[in-house]
Amino acid sequence: MNDFCLQTKGLNKVYHSVLKGDTVALKDINLDINKREFISIIGPSGCGKSTLLRILGCLDKPTSGEIIYQDGKEQEMGFVFQDSVLLPWKNVRENAGFPLVIKKDKTKESWDKLDDLLELSGLSDFKNSLPKELSGGMKQRVSIVRALSYDAPMLLMDEPFGALDAITRDHLNLELLKIWEMTKKTIIFVTHSIEEAVFLSDRVIVMSARPGQIKEIVEIDLERVRKESVRDTDKFQEYTKYLRGIIG
Amino acid sequence: MRTSKTREILRYVMDYAISISIFILIWSLYVNISGVPQFVLPKPTVVFKEFIGLFTTGMIWPHLGMTVFEVVIGFGIGVIGGIALGYLVAKIEVVKTALMPFIIFIQTAPKIALVPLFVVWFGIGLPSKIVLIVSMVIFPIMSGIILGIDSIPADARNLMRILKANKLQVFMHLEIKYSLPMLFSGLKIGIVQAVIGAIVAEWMSGKIGLGYILTYGNATYDTPLLMAGIIVTIILGIVSYESIELIGRKLLKWHVSQNIE
Ligand SMILES: Nc1ncnc2c1ncn2[C@@H]1O[C@H](COP(=O)(O)OP(=O)(O)O)[C@@H](O)[C@H]1O
Ligand SMILES: [Mg+2]
Repeated sequence: MNDFCLQTKGLNKVYHSVLKGDTVALKDINLDINKREFISIIGPSGCGKSTLLRILGCLDKPTSGEIIYQDGKEQEMGFVFQDSVLLPWKNVRENAGFPLVIKKDKTKESWDKLDDLLELSGLSDFKNSLPKELSGGMKQRVSIVRALSYDAPMLLMDEPFGALDAITRDHLNLELLKIWEMTKKTIIFVTHSIEEAVFLSDRVIVMSARPGQIKEIVEIDLERVRKESVRDTDKFQEYTKYLRGIIG
Repeated sequence: MRTSKTREILRYVMDYAISISIFILIWSLYVNISGVPQFVLPKPTVVFKEFIGLFTTGMIWPHLGMTVFEVVIGFGIGVIGGIALGYLVAKIEVVKTALMPFIIFIQTAPKIALVPLFVVWFGIGLPSKIVLIVSMVIFPIMSGIILGIDSIPADARNLMRILKANKLQVFMHLEIKYSLPMLFSGLKIGIVQAVIGAIVAEWMSGKIGLGYILTYGNATYDTPLLMAGIIVTIILGIVSYESIELIGRKLLKWHVSQNIE
């Protein structure tokens, strides 16, 4: 079984601070993430979810431990931040296609695919709009399309819908699943919403705080393709109840 | 859309015209009633004639030209120097620690008080004037760049790292663009400073430039000439400020401070 996407072995992260002393943000994190898996990381705020995701995305270095990527350390990754961080001087299409500019990808194929993604996300009519003209949900859509634009096999998302209202969030959850089913990427998704984690994931990683550790990994055995109606099933309710119990 | 915009500009101009007219009216009433001598306060009409005369006789051109030349050169060097210095300070911690005390010292020192020193060091010609202007322009530009680079969100930098962007790309696609709004605030302060610097430098030394016209009018009790010269200076200041403002508005259409058309 060499179908893994990445593995972590004994990851630790300590933040040193003269004033507040040392913070153990992550302690002994061992993970096996499979290709094409949808994984959620959930836990109380401050338990190290962002730190873990940043380390997986090579935006930060662990204090000790190692990460093995199936496709090597230099593999492409997409990252969706909590704030959409769109560049305010670029319009929707330019923002979404920004990675292609950085990667000097001028092929018609990639740009056509970008337009398809924009279409799929309901952004076709806003291609020429500037970020300041968009709602929060729209901005986050653009930032997701941007992360998808260069077709990285792995997508890391840090509470991408955390700042949105419940209705927009449910809507974007469905869209994200559609995209995931189409593109078959590995998605690692940080959230603090139990319902969101259950609805989206194959597995939910529950973390506890101080020090940030993995408390339990819960497999979500709900039917794929998931529809909105899955939220009303008993099984769904059981999972959320169970998770609420562990998180406490 | 178009008509409301035109109307807005028209109202803006009207407001200006009315307040200036009232000012001139009071001025001319005061001169007529109190009968102050011309060398203290000339009538508006006399100043206006002098002002027109400066241009019709062509006497103003070499002076105006010289001042504009100094402003352009001094401002140009100051902007390039300010951007370079600001970028180094913002990016390299060591440079910041090493230079900050001096920068604060020089920034708070009244540059005009340094003019005699500049004259001693660089002579009474063009170089000392340019040095004064540069010293007045460079700091607002520098602070603009530093503030601009500090305003870049941490996640925007993380995005560039995820995309494996190289240093040049980060500079071109992120740092320059994010610095532009702050840079333009600096440029607007800088251009005003440049004009002031040029005039002051010309007061101090030399026989050419708008500043020289002012000292000449002063020394010969030719107050109409003095006041006409002041008006030319003010107009130069407004025109250069508005040019920067206009360029800024064109380049910063995307910024939240600009209304959507
Ligand atoms: N750059 C940093 N310097 C010092 N401490 C940090 C830093 N980033 C995070 N921390 C600390 O590490 C812990 C985990 O933070 P984080 O990963 O952001 O948690 P979460 O995303 O789960 O809310 C927190 O206690 C936080 O204060
Ligand atoms: Mg976080």
